[in-house]
Amino acid sequence: MAVYRRGYHRYQGRMTGQWSRFMVLPRFAWRRLFRQRLVVLLMVLAMIWPLLCAGFIYLANHADLLKGLDREFQSFIEANGKFFLIFMNVQAAFAIFLAALTGPGLIAPDLANNALPLYFSRPLTRAGYVLARFVVLAGVLSAVTWIPGLLLFGMQAGMAGTVWFQANWDIAAGMAAGFAVWVALVSTVSLASSAYVRWKVVAGALVLGFFFILAGVSEMVNGIFRVTWGYALNPAWAIYRVWCAMLGVDPPDGPGVAACASVLAALIALLALVLERRLRPVEVIT
Amino acid sequence: MASAVIELDNLKVELGRRKILRGISCRLGVSGVGKAIGLLGPNGAGKSTLILTLLGFLKPSSGRAYVLGFDCRRQTRQVRSRIGYMPETDSFVGNMTAVTFLRLMAELSGLPGETALEKAHETLFHVGLGEARYRELRTYSQGMKQMAKLAQAIVHGPELVLLDEPTNGLDPAARQRMLALVREMKEAHGMNVFLCSHLLRDVEQVCDEVVILKDGMIARGCNLEEERRSNRCFVELEVTGNDERLRGALPEIGADGVTEGDGRWRIVLPPNVEVQAIWDLVARQNLLVRKLTHRRDTLEEIFLKAMGHISHTPGEGAEPGPIGD
Repeated sequence: MAVYRRGYHRYQGRMTGQWSRFMVLPRFAWRRLFRQRLVVLLMVLAMIWPLLCAGFIYLANHADLLKGLDREFQSFIEANGKFFLIFMNVQAAFAIFLAALTGPGLIAPDLANNALPLYFSRPLTRAGYVLARFVVLAGVLSAVTWIPGLLLFGMQAGMAGTVWFQANWDIAAGMAAGFAVWVALVSTVSLASSAYVRWKVVAGALVLGFFFILAGVSEMVNGIFRVTWGYALNPAWAIYRVWCAMLGVDPPDGPGVAACASVLAALIALLALVLERRLRPVEVIT
Repeated sequence: MASAVIELDNLKVELGRRKILRGISCRLGVSGVGKAIGLLGPNGAGKSTLILTLLGFLKPSSGRAYVLGFDCRRQTRQVRSRIGYMPETDSFVGNMTAVTFLRLMAELSGLPGETALEKAHETLFHVGLGEARYRELRTYSQGMKQMAKLAQAIVHGPELVLLDEPTNGLDPAARQRMLALVREMKEAHGMNVFLCSHLLRDVEQVCDEVVILKDGMIARGCNLEEERRSNRCFVELEVTGNDERLRGALPEIGADGVTEGDGRWRIVLPPNVEVQAIWDLVARQNLLVRKLTHRRDTLEEIFLKAMGHISHTPGEGAEPGPIGD
């Protein structure tokens, strides 16, 4: 029967499970995100570097192709911890741009249109809402960070053999964990700025500003006080220091891994607090 | 004993240092029976605070609030899966068509994807937005947005619908349509409706029970259905001509009455007698009817009495003149 002839009837049938309800917000958000050309374009661009790295791994594992080249270059072509660290650095930058593009559209419109009471009058908690929005970003960022990273590692392991895998499996674990921290930080920054600023463009600029301004602040602190601990205030530097430890690469001069990890944890906690304060179904003025 | 739709037990809510609700206790509605409960009160009486507390958005400082038998504070999930909420202010998800918006809301309430889509279409046709269902919500007029808000509140078929000022910003035709929909929700679909409004006529038209709040306390609770029933028994009559024999004729139809002089009568009808019997009786007495009205202890009078603006219903305390004068 045509829907306009059917008339309204109360639904009294089966209800979906809690997990399935939780995934409703991410499903709708992903569907809307991937309709945006700019998002798709940026994701395609983010795949170029992993493809180049795949070519690099192929070359590194086919010595016969490198016969004519000099020895220095041959020793440079090696898929080790440093190689994966470089891969992570580039992808981390793409993650920031992608988060700046996609994140502000997740919460800011809900705040601007006063949609939170509609969500929270349903069986969805504030924590559930934030987690669902986090899953949206984590899903998008995963596609350009740890997923291609692990695929590259798998490719390298497949070509280099079991011995290489047994000697370097910690690179894969470090890469997955390192990207997980970065995805958590970038997603939280993006969600917090989206919750703080109701205008999407400004919220996107705020995401980029967070990383660039803190980098500038850290340089200023180092310059003024003639110290190196200021680097810990730069999230990009701090995560690089943590990744060095995870991938077994020589770290740069500056604060230790514990200090950097603490700063990152503190930043994530601070941003989570911003989300907690901003996302309420009603604003109570006392 | 049938469980109440809303049960408040010495409910107190404080926002900062301000005491908004000061110990409300009442039982409203009967679970499983489609009834509409009106919530009235002047600005700042605590109406919205009560609704927000029932939704679990605000925490009571003491006391309890139960919706459909579930504690609003401790069993929020159970409460929220059984209710629909239409907020007073504009609330929607931007850049989304009405049908997508309703589907999202239905799925969040627990409907499976395909069913949610069907219900979204069905509900939009029901509220009169069928032709506009593929338009983005931000392009809707104020009246259409109100209807879309109502649609999202009922798309999942809740047991209780909380409506906060549903007729705000509606033109008279749209207002009537909205009220008709609310009546249909309770009468045809068995939903309980909790309607918060400052428009007494809206509440009077659709509600069966009314709670009047004043300064965070219940100033008056009344069953409008019973009021209407009792109002039907009282008739105010004004006639021209010699009405001396009217008093003696009233028992013919089982009625009783007193005259207030100048042809004005107040008559009490037995429950099974219709007003037509008065017309017939008056015609037999060769009297001309100047005015015949049901006594109406209107909601406005009830409200004004509860607010302390009037002490009695106008005309209620008038001394009747001698019978047959």
